[in-house]
Amino acid sequence: MSAASLIAREEWRVLARNRAGLIASALLVLLILVANFTSLERRSAIEADRERYQASVDESFDAQPDRHPHRMVHYGQFVFRPLAPLAFFDAGVDSFTGNTVFLEGHRQNSANFAEARQSSLLLRFGQLTPAFVLQTLAPLLLIFLAFASVGREKERATLKLMLAQGVSGRSVIAGKLIGHAAIALAVGLPAFAVLLVFAAAGAAEWGSVALMILGYAAWLLLWAVLGVVVSALAGRPRDALAILIGLWMVIVILLPRALPEAASAQSELATKIETEIALHRDLLKIGDSHDPDDPYFNDFKEEVLAKYGVDTVEELPVQYAGLVSIEGERLTTQIYADAANRQIASESEQNAFVHAFSVVSPLIAIRQLSMALAGSDLSAHYDFLDQAETFRYDFVQRLNRMQAELLPGIEGDDPRISAAYWQDIPRFAYDPTDPFARSQNLVWPFAVLLGWLGALAALALIAARRIERAAR
Amino acid sequence: MNMKITSTPAIAIEGLEQSYGHKQVLRGLDLTVKRGEIYALLGGNGAGKSTTLSALLGFIVPQAGTVRVCGIDPAADPRGARATMAYVPENVSLYEHLTARENIAYFLALADAMRGRDAIEGALTAVGLAEEAWDKRLSGFSKGMRQKVAIALALARDVPVLLLDEPTSGLDPRAVLEFNRLLDAAREREVAVLMVTHDIVSAVDIADRSGFLGQGRIEEEREASASGPRFDLNALHDRYARAGEPA
Repeated sequence: MSAASLIAREEWRVLARNRAGLIASALLVLLILVANFTSLERRSAIEADRERYQASVDESFDAQPDRHPHRMVHYGQFVFRPLAPLAFFDAGVDSFTGNTVFLEGHRQNSANFAEARQSSLLLRFGQLTPAFVLQTLAPLLLIFLAFASVGREKERATLKLMLAQGVSGRSVIAGKLIGHAAIALAVGLPAFAVLLVFAAAGAAEWGSVALMILGYAAWLLLWAVLGVVVSALAGRPRDALAILIGLWMVIVILLPRALPEAASAQSELATKIETEIALHRDLLKIGDSHDPDDPYFNDFKEEVLAKYGVDTVEELPVQYAGLVSIEGERLTTQIYADAANRQIASESEQNAFVHAFSVVSPLIAIRQLSMALAGSDLSAHYDFLDQAETFRYDFVQRLNRMQAELLPGIEGDDPRISAAYWQDIPRFAYDPTDPFARSQNLVWPFAVLLGWLGALAALALIAARRIERAAR
Repeated sequence: MNMKITSTPAIAIEGLEQSYGHKQVLRGLDLTVKRGEIYALLGGNGAGKSTTLSALLGFIVPQAGTVRVCGIDPAADPRGARATMAYVPENVSLYEHLTARENIAYFLALADAMRGRDAIEGALTAVGLAEEAWDKRLSGFSKGMRQKVAIALALARDVPVLLLDEPTSGLDPRAVLEFNRLLDAAREREVAVLMVTHDIVSAVDIADRSGFLGQGRIEEEREASASGPRFDLNALHDRYARAGEPA
């Protein structure tokens, strides 16, 4: 057995006899299991609720009587975003972005009913998900287990005796790294096992699960290596502990909260009221279809009459009001789409700013990776909004076309068409975003995590040289 | 022992100079220890005894001069040099959570010097550690018992050079006598022993040569007499008290 393996094995023996360390490790493993269980329960409950609500609103929609199609445009539809399979592991921004959109004519509504607005304030401090435990609490345990790994040997002079046996500084550091790397992976094992069971059951894609496990393994290894390296470079174990806790506070607590503030200061988003006012101004510019002097709609009317070869709207084979609705919807949708794109561009700029700083706070990298693979990141939310808007436009324009094409053949002051028409409209079916389609959301976090591990490996080599000098 | 005995000194230090910052600790130290010889290096605090051991163990690279252990330069090939040496530190540093037997087995494995159960038990017997203590954790051991375990480890290494840093510190007189008998046996096996110590009485009993380290070099060396008292203890005491002063 190599010296490094012997040292690793001895490290495990030391930790196995450390009662406080064992209790802390057992508690963390328990917490991961509880987080998995409660997250899966929560996911099932939310999923069931959304399915029930969706079925209920679909039923109400189908139950609408024969009506004027424009009434159905305003009756609208609710669509609920189904949760991604791995959202139980990392709820991401789901709890804050809302998951329900009311689709209606003339306007784009934002998503509503965010969990964070309906639940207790505690939710705002982070849900108990496996991702939260692995990202925030597991590093603390790894610090606690590794901060004295090398410092203890220096302080008790066993390091000198080890080196005197012909063991190199590299072997000492390698042994400690192997020992703590194995512990780090063991800490993540319960969470990884649940992910693998999930994939084996066909509930999640193997690719996403494999990358999720690789990402978290790299994140946990990073803290184990950091613990050993700081322990080797710091003077005494208590100095190493102070440095490591300081790094945890900066990397895990401070930067991930301070950077979004800095990003929003740098690229300010319009408030809801400002957005509404700007939209209202843009909508006013479209013109008024009921104003006989409105230049845009006068031109539109002339074009329609020319297209059909008639002189008056009454001679049209289609209902002119229906055509105006189609044109009006096209124009308002463009205005809303432009506003949404501007908003998304600003938010993306803020996100890019924060993600660039994942170089100094790898928590941002693992969080980005985890949310992307769990399908609970902002990109997945935008994807849902985009699909909902595409569906809304198609849904409203179908009804507008029904108005234009079917109403001229119906007599009476209150023309209606059969409910069967909107019952035939296909329902919204969300096609979940493929995390691999946005490879930059995966490649950059992995590059950051591997970069950190590479930098720490270089520091470990320096530490190996230094501990030989420290032994004199 | 596997090393072939030659006329080359097991330990050869020539013109060794070492300073830490502005403080020059060694100023041209010359020292040789032959196979089968026990050398007591005496000196006051800060005289450079530990620095000499660090140079032999390859923990420091000499600023000037040469150091050889069994012909190997420890600065250039620390692993090779350390394979020829066993070292017993002043403050015995072994694992508290391991038993005496486990400690020896672990450090032997680290030295890539796997020995059988008999060899480990033989070394523990040789240092006079009671058998009932062999499988007890070191956390309950006295300083003397720990010292014995460390010496047992050094013996079990079965190497041609022994470096001992205050080896009798913490040992009772009877244990010192037992220890000296072990060194006698090592001498018989042509082991070169460099013993850094304050314990002149022990040095008188066992050393073949003694050297006074002062002002960064060996100020005076004395050889044990072949007949009559081995050393003049009073003269040694007197010289020890003046170590570091001009001769």
